[in-house]
Amino acid sequence: MFVAGLEDLSQPPPPQSPTQSAAPQDPFAALSVRLREVLLAQRKAAIWQPEKNRTFKVLLADKDMRFPPRKVEDLQTRTFHSPLSPLMPSSPMYPDGLISPFWIRKHTTLVPAVFVIFMRIYESPVQAPRSPLDVPDADREREREAEERRRDTELAADIAQRKKHMNDYGVKLTVVLLASRRMLDDPALDNRLTFIRRQSGLDPRAALFVLSPVSQAEIGDFVRSLQDALYEPAVEYYTNHSKRVRRKRNKHSQTVSSYPLPMSPIGAAAATPRPLRPEGWTVRYEYKMACFAEFRGEDEIALKHYQDAYSSLLIMFGSTAILPPRTKRWSEARVLADCINVKICKLYLYNNEHSLALAHHNSHIRRFADFSRGWGMGEETFEYWAWLARQYRILAELLEEGTKSTLKIPSHFRTPSQTAALVAAHALESSASQRNLLEAEALRLLGLNPTQALQHPGFYYYMAARCQERRRERFLKALESETAATLPAYGTEKKVDHLAVIVELYTKAHDHFKQFRATGAHGHDRFILWIVNRIAETYCMQRKYQVAVRFFERIARTYRGEGWNSLLLPLLTMWYRCAQQLGDMELSVRLLVEMLSHGEEYNRSDPEVMQEDLLAVLKSTVPSSTDESLVIDSSESEPILESCVVFWKPDVNVGETIPFQILLTAPSGVSMSAIPFTTLSVEFSADVPPLVIQHSAEHSDEVLPQVRTIDLGHIAIPSSDSEEEEEPRIIGGVLRWAPGSTVVLSGTLLSDTPTTVSVVKLHLVLQEGSWTIELPLRPAKHRQQPHTLPRWLVSAQPPRFMPIRHDNYSELRVHHRPHKVYVSVTHHAPAYLGEEYPITVEVCNTDERELDMIMDVLLQPSEFDEAVNHISLDDQKSSSLVKGIPLGVLPPGASLLKTIYLFNDGIAGDRTLDISVQSRSTATPEPSSPASPNLSAEASLVDKSETLQTLTVGAVEAFKVEHDITYRRALGPQAGPSDLRAFSAEHWDDREGGEAVIASKFACAGPSSVVVESIKLVREDGVCAKVVNSSVEDDEDVLAEWLPGDEFCGSCCVSLAPEDDHQEDQDTPGPGAYEITWRRIISSGDRGSLSTSHFTLPPLRPPTDGLVALLDTPPMATLHEPITIRMTVRNGHPSRSANVTVHLEPDSADGFVVAGLRSGRVPILLPGAEEQVLWKLIPIECGYVKVPRIRVLDRRRAVEQAQLQGAQGPLPNNESEADVVHIVDVRWDVKGTSAQGEGNRTSLDGPASGGEPIILVVP
Amino acid sequence: LRLNAVAFVSPQNHPILIRTFGQQRQDELKYHYIAHTSLDVIDERIAAAATSKSTECYLNLLYTMEDVAVYGFITPLKVKIIIALALSDAVVRDVDVVTIFKALHTAYRHAVANPFLKL
Repeated sequence: MFVAGLEDLSQPPPPQSPTQSAAPQDPFAALSVRLREVLLAQRKAAIWQPEKNRTFKVLLADKDMRFPPRKVEDLQTRTFHSPLSPLMPSSPMYPDGLISPFWIRKHTTLVPAVFVIFMRIYESPVQAPRSPLDVPDADREREREAEERRRDTELAADIAQRKKHMNDYGVKLTVVLLASRRMLDDPALDNRLTFIRRQSGLDPRAALFVLSPVSQAEIGDFVRSLQDALYEPAVEYYTNHSKRVRRKRNKHSQTVSSYPLPMSPIGAAAATPRPLRPEGWTVRYEYKMACFAEFRGEDEIALKHYQDAYSSLLIMFGSTAILPPRTKRWSEARVLADCINVKICKLYLYNNEHSLALAHHNSHIRRFADFSRGWGMGEETFEYWAWLARQYRILAELLEEGTKSTLKIPSHFRTPSQTAALVAAHALESSASQRNLLEAEALRLLGLNPTQALQHPGFYYYMAARCQERRRERFLKALESETAATLPAYGTEKKVDHLAVIVELYTKAHDHFKQFRATGAHGHDRFILWIVNRIAETYCMQRKYQVAVRFFERIARTYRGEGWNSLLLPLLTMWYRCAQQLGDMELSVRLLVEMLSHGEEYNRSDPEVMQEDLLAVLKSTVPSSTDESLVIDSSESEPILESCVVFWKPDVNVGETIPFQILLTAPSGVSMSAIPFTTLSVEFSADVPPLVIQHSAEHSDEVLPQVRTIDLGHIAIPSSDSEEEEEPRIIGGVLRWAPGSTVVLSGTLLSDTPTTVSVVKLHLVLQEGSWTIELPLRPAKHRQQPHTLPRWLVSAQPPRFMPIRHDNYSELRVHHRPHKVYVSVTHHAPAYLGEEYPITVEVCNTDERELDMIMDVLLQPSEFDEAVNHISLDDQKSSSLVKGIPLGVLPPGASLLKTIYLFNDGIAGDRTLDISVQSRSTATPEPSSPASPNLSAEASLVDKSETLQTLTVGAVEAFKVEHDITYRRALGPQAGPSDLRAFSAEHWDDREGGEAVIASKFACAGPSSVVVESIKLVREDGVCAKVVNSSVEDDEDVLAEWLPGDEFCGSCCVSLAPEDDHQEDQDTPGPGAYEITWRRIISSGDRGSLSTSHFTLPPLRPPTDGLVALLDTPPMATLHEPITIRMTVRNGHPSRSANVTVHLEPDSADGFVVAGLRSGRVPILLPGAEEQVLWKLIPIECGYVKVPRIRVLDRRRAVEQAQLQGAQGPLPNNESEADVVHIVDVRWDVKGTSAQGEGNRTSLDGPASGGEPIILVVP
Repeated sequence: LRLNAVAFVSPQNHPILIRTFGQQRQDELKYHYIAHTSLDVIDERIAAAATSKSTECYLNLLYTMEDVAVYGFITPLKVKIIIALALSDAVVRDVDVVTIFKALHTAYRHAVANPFLKL
C-alpha cells in the first residue's frame, strides 16, 4: 500500500453494536455511549475532502445485520451474477444499464470494509470474602471456571458464525471485548482470550481487542489505535475489489476482440432490448475501479479511471445507435457523465491544477452542447439551458465547498516587482531551481487561457443564474406555441419556479462577490451592484415591487455619482415601472423628472412620451399631502435644466453697471414644452434683492424659438445699511422650453459698496392640479462631463453666442475704484560707493478724492554678501525696510517731495528699491484694527489702494586704485645668531623681510568729478610690518577737483619683519590705509555730502632668500683714488649652514687695481649668519668701468659628493661641482612678490641685476 | 483574437467612451455593465500594484464572464482602458493584449490632443 494513501471517507463502516445495558449506572453503558460519540464524530462525509488521514467513516449497524447478497442465481442461464449486474434479468440495469446509484450506495452504506463488533466478556459475580480468614472455596472456584468456559465457548461460536458470513464478502471482522477493570488484572484473562480467538477462528492480527471503561481521552486513543490497526485491512479490501474488477475488464476486452458483437438491425433494437455494449462494460469497470481507488485515497489512480470511463462514455454518446436519445438509459448516461465530470474537476482541484479542471469542465460543456444539438435540444430549448445552469451551479457549489476548506482561488495578476522578487528568491536558491524559474517565466510570457482562469464561485453562480434566465425565456416562448404541452420535459418544467431559482442563484453570487471582494477596497462594489440590479429586475418579474424599489434606490446612488448614465437609464425605466405598479405617485414624479433631465440619452424614439406620462400623472392623481410642495432635489442626479450664470466681467468697481446673463438650457431630444412651470425665483448672495419670474401665458401659443431672452432689468444693490427684507421683484416671462432650447435671463447689476455677488439659488416651481413641485437647480452644475464653455448671448435674432474666457465667470467681485496716485523718482545715477546717495520721490495725488498716504521703502537684499547698504528716510534708517512714513493727507492735485538716502558700501553693482505708496480715501472710516487677519473680508470694504514703484540704482566706485609693490633686501648690519639684542622685544628684525615699496595709483573712475578734501595714510603698524615713510604726508597739491580720468600716485615704504614661524605662502596684511575725503560734484554744480573712502594697503609677501651675496659698490669713483667695495655673503636658509669660497679673478683688461682677498674660504656660515668681504680698488681708467669678476661658490654639495666617494684628497675646486652663488648688486636690488610654492629659497632678482656691476670713474 | 468592446474610463471613474463591435443593440448594455464592474477589479489591482510599488500599466485578465474575457490597462495618467475579448479556448498571449492596449492608448492620446475633438 501507499504510505500516504489513507482511507477515504465513504466505505468502511465498522458497524458497531454496542451492548445495550439496561442499567444507566452501568459503566459499560456509559462507555458505549461515549464510544458511539467518538466514533461518529470521526469523520463527516463531505464533498470536499482533499486531506487524507487514517480515519474511517463510521456507521452504526445492527449486530446481526446481513449484507446484501453478493451473487444471485440467474434462473434462465443458471449463472451467478450480482443483483445489480445488467446480466441479471431482475436487476434494474437489465439488459443495458451502465451503473446504478444502488451500487454506490451498496459500497457506502451497506457493505463495510471492516466490521467491528463490541461484546461483553462474561465475568462471574464478585464475592467479597466474608472474612479475611475465609479459605477460598475450591468448589465455588471450579464452578466459576466451568461457567466461564461455557460462556466463552458460546461467545466464540457466536463470533465464528459472524466471521463466516464476513468471510464471504472479504470483510474483516474485529471483535472488541468489553471487560471491567478488575478483569484486566485477572491472570486468567490471557488464556481466556486465546481460547476465544482460537475457537472463533479470528485472524491473529488486529482482530481482538479488550476495552474496559475508561475516560474520554483514553477512548479517543483507543479509537485511534483501532483505526490504525484496521486501516491496512480496509485498504486491502478495496484493492481486492479493484483487482477483481480489473480481471473482469481484461477478460471482457479479450472476449470483445475475439467475438465482436453483431450489429443488430435498428428495427429489432426497438423491439428487443440489446445487451450492454462493450463500451458500456468498459465504462462500468473503469467507474468501479475509480470508485475503489477513491475509497483507498489514491486520487491519481481514481482520476485516471474516471477519465477512461468518461472517454468511453463519450464514444457511446457519439452514436445514436448505441444510446438512442430520450430513452431511460440515455438520460441515465447523461447524469453519469455529469457526475464523472464533477469528480474529475474535483480531483484536479485537489491537486491545485485549476486550469486543467476548468479545461475539463469547459470541454464537457462544449461536447454535450454539441450532442444536445444533435438530440434536438439545442440552445433554443429550455432543456439545454436547464442542463447548462445545472452544470454551472454544480461547479459553483463544488468551488464553494472547496473554498470553505482548502481551495485557494489563484490571482491572475502578478506585479512585476513580485516577479522580480520571485526571481531574486530563485536566484538565491541553487541552480536546480532555475528550471522552475524558466518555466514560470515562460508561462508569464505566454499569457494564459482566459477560459481556464479559475474565479471565485460567485462568477459561476452568476453564470448559472444567467442560464436560468435564458431557460425561463425559452420556456415562456415555448408556452406561447400551441404544441407546448407536447414538448418533452414539459411536465417537469411547468413545476419549476424559475424566478425563485434565479433569485436564489443571484443571491448566492451576490454573497460570494461580497465575500471575495478585496479587503482593502473601499468605495463601491460595482459587481455587487450589478448583481443586485439583476436581483431587483427578477423581483420585478416576481411582482415584488416594494423590494425591487429598495434595491434600485441603493444602486442608483452609485451610478449617478459615477456618471454611468447608460446604466442608470434602464434602471430608471424599470424603477419607474415599479413605482407605477406600487402607485407611489411622488416617486413616479421624481423618476419622470429625472428621466426628463437625461434628455435624448433616454428615449430616442418618442420625445413626447415622458412629458405625456408626467402630465398624465399630475392631472390624474393627487399628492399624498397637499400642504407641502414636493421638492425634487437633483443634487445627486442631473438637473432638469442646465443653468449657467455669467457675469460679463469678474471684477468691477463700485458704482459701475455690469451686465449678467443666466442661461437655462433644456435637455435636447426630449420634449418638455407642455410642462406647466409657473415661477422661477432667482436668489443672489449678498444683499441683492431676489427676483421672481412668473409665467405669463400671453405668448405661450407661439412656437418656442431655440433661444429666448427674458429681461430682468436693472438691479441696484442697496448699501448694506438698509437691513429690511427686500420684496422680491416680479417679472413676467414665458417659462416653457422646447427641446434643447435656451432661455436667457439678462439683466444689469450695480453696487455702491464693495461685495461679492453670485447666484445661490434657482428655484423652478411647477403647478398642476393639486401638485406643487419645486425643482431647485444648482447654478454651477453642468450636465455633460466635458462641460460646455460659458457663453454670452450677443444677439437674440439670430442667436449668437460668444465664449467667455475668464475663469470666475459666475462670481462677481465689486470693489473700490483704484486711487490715482502718481509717484515719480529723480536721482543722478550712478551712485558712488561710500556716498549717501539722494533719491527724490515725488508723490502726486491726481485723484479727485482727498487721500491719506503712507510710504514704505524696501531695499532689496543684495546678491553680494559683503554689500552693506542701508537707506534712510526722514529719521528712520534701515538696511532693508523703512515702513510707514506718513506723507499726510494730500488734497486733490497736491504733490509732495521726499528724499531717500541710499548708502552703498562693498562691491559695485545694482541696488533695487521698492517704493510703495498706500493711499486711503479720507471719506471712508479707518478700519478699527487693520492688522487683525480675521477682518480681511471687511478690509476689502475699506477704500484703500497702493501704488508701487520699483527703482534700480547702479552703484560704482568713486576711485579706482592700483598698487605696485617692489621688495628690497635689508642692508643694515644684522644681529648675528648669538647677538642677545635680537631677543629683545623691540628688536626689529628686517633681515628676512627687507623693505617693500608700495606705489598706489588712484584714478577718478566715475562719470562725475569729485572734490578731494584730504588724503592721508592712516598707519596701522603691526608686529610684522610698519610704514617707514609716505609720500602723501605733506602733499597739498592733490587736494583739488579731480575730473573723471584724473590719476594721482602716492608711494610709501614699509619695513617688514616676518615672524620666525612665518609661513612663506602667507600674506602679511598691509600696515595701513589711505583715507580720502571727498565730495561729489553733481552735474548742476552742487556738491554732494562729504564722503570718506578707505583704501587699505595691499597684503605683502616678501620673497625669501637662500644663500646670497650682496655686492655694495659706490656708484662713482675718482681716478686713482681708492674705493672700497664690500660684499656681504648672507645665509638666509633657515636650517642649513653654508660652506662658501670667494674668488676674485683679476683680468688684464680690468680698469682697477685690486687689494684684498683673491681666493679664499669664508668661515662656515650658520643659518642666518653673514660675513663681509672687503676689497680696495684703485681705478686706473676713466669711464664706465666694470668691477673685476667675483665668483662665490657654495661647496656644500661638492663636499657631500666627496664624502660619498670616500676620497681623502683635496676638495675639488672646480665650478662644475660647486653651486655658484648669485651676486646681487644692491644698487639695483628690486624683487617682485615671492612666487607661490618657491620652496628652495634661491635668490630672486629682477632683470636689472643681470649685468655686472659698473662704476663711473671720473678723472 | 476578437475584440467585442472597448471602454475608456476617466480617472474619476466616469465613462469616457464605450464602443461595442458587431453586437446586437441589446447587448451593448452588457458591455457597459462589464466596463463598470471591471473598475472593481482594476481598483483592486491598482491597490496591489501600489503596495508593491509597481508602475506596470497592463493589469492582465480582470475576469471572464459569459462569453467574454475582460482585460484592463491603466495609463500613466490613470485613464483606464478596458477591452472585452470574445472567449475562445486558446491561450491569449499577453504580448498581443498589450499591443492592443498600446494602440488604443496611442489613439486616445491623439484624440485628446486634437483641439477639434468632439466626443
